[in-house]
Amino acid sequence: MSHEGSRGDDDLLARIAAGSQGALSELIARHGNGLRVFAARYLGNAGDAEDVVQEVFVTVWKQAARFDPARARASTWLYRITANRCIDQRRRRALRSFIGLDDIRDEVASPEADAEATTAARQELAIVRDGLSRLPERQRMAVLLRAVGDLDIAAIAEVMGGSVGSAEQLLVRGRRALRDHLAMAAAGRERKSS
Amino acid sequence: MTRDEFERNRRRFGDTVEAWPAPFRQQALAFMAGGAGPEDDPDAALDRLVLEATLIEGDDQALARKVLARIDSGSTRSSLLPRFLLAPAGLAACAAAILVAVTLAGYQAARLQDDLQDSELLALASGARLSGNGGADIAADPAEEDSL
Repeated sequence: MSHEGSRGDDDLLARIAAGSQGALSELIARHGNGLRVFAARYLGNAGDAEDVVQEVFVTVWKQAARFDPARARASTWLYRITANRCIDQRRRRALRSFIGLDDIRDEVASPEADAEATTAARQELAIVRDGLSRLPERQRMAVLLRAVGDLDIAAIAEVMGGSVGSAEQLLVRGRRALRDHLAMAAAGRERKSS
Repeated sequence: MTRDEFERNRRRFGDTVEAWPAPFRQQALAFMAGGAGPEDDPDAALDRLVLEATLIEGDDQALARKVLARIDSGSTRSSLLPRFLLAPAGLAACAAAILVAVTLAGYQAARLQDDLQDSELLALASGARLSGNGGADIAADPAEEDSL
């Protein structure tokens, strides 16, 4: 993210800390979509993601005064809160599933699902989504933080609470697994057509 | 990203695309590059593909309304426990946990009572005089203890 955009977010957070709900709405307009996509694809459930993102912005409202622009970018801070909430949500669902109370299915509605199979490009996007959902959780998180959040390796490491080296490894492995998945799907399509 | 979406976002976030928030920024940069980025970077190409595959529609205004409503009502759920307990399933789980705890407490109390009866029987067998509190006299009288 550019310094200009980061400064804009910093200003918004300073105004939120001062009690401006308008600034919070503006921050939601800027980052709500990205955080929602990240949470939905990480959790595999749009309803859970919506709930998580609401919790994130409520937390931002309460904790904005604690944000220190000298320590991290606003977007990194937002994604860190979201990642933590997503992990909490997964644990919650795992507990509910363990005691047999979880009736929520993993699903995120994809746009134009009916038309999806009509073109090769849309098939490829569906294969990417499938590959992403099969990645180990931490690899999936790293890939999404890079692709959706546009975070660099250092920021990904900060969000995930690990070293730069481990974040890079997760990203490399996640990308490799996705490429392998795409290659296998392409090979399968070729076999079918021949 | 279509031309209309690009223009709409430019009105929202300003002319400097690099200052736009993610994921609008990456979409706009790909749009400006004619739908593709530098072909010599396979990682960037895969990131674009992942972004395109993961995008979902969402209403940011509705999200803002819900967040502000939660703030205004002060009914934020800061932890798992209250929310979990409010659900019928949570109540059932709590009832089960209480039942298990009461059962264990019952067994524990019964075991203590058994110990008391054992002490009384030992006192009877050794000819000790029973007091009001069971076998406390046995330990208190070393001479009688030797007679065992």
